[in-house]
Amino acid sequence: MLNVDRISVRRGKALVLRDISLSLEPRRTLAVVGESGAGKSTLIAAILGLVPCARGHVTWSGAPLGSARPSLVMQEPRSAFNPQLSLRRSVLEPCVAQGLAPDTRRLERLCDGLELTSDLLDRRPFEVSIGQVQRIGILRALIAAPPLVLFDEPLSALDAVRQKHTARLIADLQAEEGFAALVVTHDLGYAAAYADDIAVLRAGKIEEIGAAKAFVAAPQTAYGRTLRDAAFALGALERVA
Amino acid sequence: MIRFFIGLFLRATVVLAGTALATFALLWHAPGDPALAVALARYRAVVPDAVIDQIRAEAGFDTGFWTAFVHWLAPMLRGDFGQSAVTGRDVGPDLLTALSYTTPLALLGLLIGLAISIPLALVATKRPGQWMDRISVALASIGAAIPSYWLGLLLILLFAVQLGWLPAMGARTAAHIILPALTLGLGVAASLTRILRSGLLEARGQAFLPAFHRRGVGAHAVERDHIAPHAAIPVITVFGLELAFLLEGAVMVEVIFARPGLGTFLVGAIEARDFPKVQAVVIVAATLFVTVNLLIDLLYRVLDPRIGERNA
Amino acid sequence: MTLTVRGLSATRSGRTILHRTDIIIEPGERVGLVGASGSGKSTFGHALVDDLRARGRSVAHVPQSPSEALDPLRSLRFHWREAEQALNLAPDTSRQHALFGALGIDGGDLRKRPWGWSRGMQQRFVIAMALLGTPELLVMDEPTSALDPVIAAATMDLLDTYLADRKTALLLITHDLGLAARRVSRLAVMDAGRLVENAATHRILLNPQSQAARALCAHRNWLQLPC
Repeated sequence: MLNVDRISVRRGKALVLRDISLSLEPRRTLAVVGESGAGKSTLIAAILGLVPCARGHVTWSGAPLGSARPSLVMQEPRSAFNPQLSLRRSVLEPCVAQGLAPDTRRLERLCDGLELTSDLLDRRPFEVSIGQVQRIGILRALIAAPPLVLFDEPLSALDAVRQKHTARLIADLQAEEGFAALVVTHDLGYAAAYADDIAVLRAGKIEEIGAAKAFVAAPQTAYGRTLRDAAFALGALERVA
Repeated sequence: MIRFFIGLFLRATVVLAGTALATFALLWHAPGDPALAVALARYRAVVPDAVIDQIRAEAGFDTGFWTAFVHWLAPMLRGDFGQSAVTGRDVGPDLLTALSYTTPLALLGLLIGLAISIPLALVATKRPGQWMDRISVALASIGAAIPSYWLGLLLILLFAVQLGWLPAMGARTAAHIILPALTLGLGVAASLTRILRSGLLEARGQAFLPAFHRRGVGAHAVERDHIAPHAAIPVITVFGLELAFLLEGAVMVEVIFARPGLGTFLVGAIEARDFPKVQAVVIVAATLFVTVNLLIDLLYRVLDPRIGERNA
Repeated sequence: MTLTVRGLSATRSGRTILHRTDIIIEPGERVGLVGASGSGKSTFGHALVDDLRARGRSVAHVPQSPSEALDPLRSLRFHWREAEQALNLAPDTSRQHALFGALGIDGGDLRKRPWGWSRGMQQRFVIAMALLGTPELLVMDEPTSALDPVIAAATMDLLDTYLADRKTALLLITHDLGLAARRVSRLAVMDAGRLVENAATHRILLNPQSQAARALCAHRNWLQLPC
């Protein structure tokens, strides 16, 4: 399991993350919500070791995180791909890196689930739509059956219907394979529907963390309530009496 | 901001120092004895070794490379370009006289180039791909392909020989500048038209422009406030290169029209192997080039601060 | 006055991306234009605005992304003055402060160029420019996509009161039926460049006719929660 133990990240003199602790077991999904600039993406970077932590450490079942071979779905889908390579080559990169033979059956299955046709993969990143690139990013993250997947706004470029199809596919695959998922999102509706737990991040600190259903029913903090009410006001969640 | 200016200034200094060093190294390592070359050029006869030694000592050739380099560079920093190896006259005043002929020629050429290319590019990009656009592209390609010595001769044939309207050779009257400036200006116009055209096309295709029309901003204001500044950026970029083209073109044109100036000065110096004169021209040209490019970098900073931020 | 547009269409590189469409919008009415991405919603919005403008009607448009609305080389103050001049309005700092305050961008430095502000602030600045005059119709293309949820909700609430005060009609373009359901009284559903359904919001939510509307309704919310 993923263990994040009291990490802090400094940018210049300011602390952009303060004393973040959380843990995440296989088969579980943790959603991190909060406004822009709260440190959501920095948290992902810190977990992966892409930015140095001033304090604290990140482990996977007691071992360094690298042993989990975590995969990442990046926020800017198009810049997450090498523009020179065909999408197919980029997608199969995780298999190549681990010395695995590309599993074509799995590739086909994932493509079907993500509503991607096989010929799209023979194009280059700028030759497909932004929504397609984003789904191909998800495909790449899942292709090598990783035990831990970090998603940074994975559905931001998709329309409402596709968002729900894609979220369903990720959840089905997770139920089958048991990876742990950490999802950074500003969409509380998505978090409430698919995450087991929700962490509210604000100004680099965890405001509150707890079971998703309990959070939506009764947030513990004023800021948590503001977030939930905004989700209602935007129709991402529906109240039924 | 201040770091950005200091960085620019340091870069310019490094380029100039490099140019000076390269110029001197070429002279130092030139095949044959530079002192012998100077002696041959000065006396046009075989001279005794004593004279060669004297020249060597005069020019500082007998010391080591770096000592000689400093010895060579120091007076130049004070604006003293030394004496001609052939005539023994000071190079500085002669160079100034040459520049006083070349500067108006280059400026007039640039002006003619702008006067032709700006309206042409504006008309061409109104309807990209239509006949006016194609004609302007064709004209620009032809203009870029015609060498200035041939164009110069054609202009002489037409205006001086056939029509007899304009003088062709020398620089006695103000009218003497017209044909050389036209030769130079047509070449400048050709390259500027192409750059302006692509800059304008790109500026007109920007994604935010329809929003300005929908907000009710007039077509003229959009053209002036949102298209022109974007189109100006690539044009300013190549302006530095255009300057090199102007200098090179001026040298060529002056020789064709037998006009005094930097070109004639340089060609005469090379023929006579008058090294101090050649070096003076190289150093002055390099300084001019670096200064103009420094100003362009500063102008960028004013026009589009994003460029400076990415560099810093 | 009722806005009536007939025979709107658009082609791009020889392909029809918007088939002949008619739409009627009553004064102060709030209409949602919904559909999947690529169904031609934005194209419809552009064509509608351009057609109405050409006929002298006052329309304001807020594009999907602030980069489609702001010149990166010009300061925000320049944009503001220009927008005022385009509407023949005299500079009025109190109106400006009121709008900026309501949208929560009064702390921004107007001397900066757009990229000196965050994307969310830029988007709100563009909305403020659209609210400068008193247009008959405000077309907003995915107004919440560049905004944080809390700010997005506050902005939509502000728009509600603003539009009601001025009898300005709203065309809300969105892929998100959940958002539209909360904000508009009538829905127009687009599919592959055609308007396939056009009815009161509650009727479409209860009984969608077209395939596109059925798909949108089936995926309306993430969750329905008893609260």
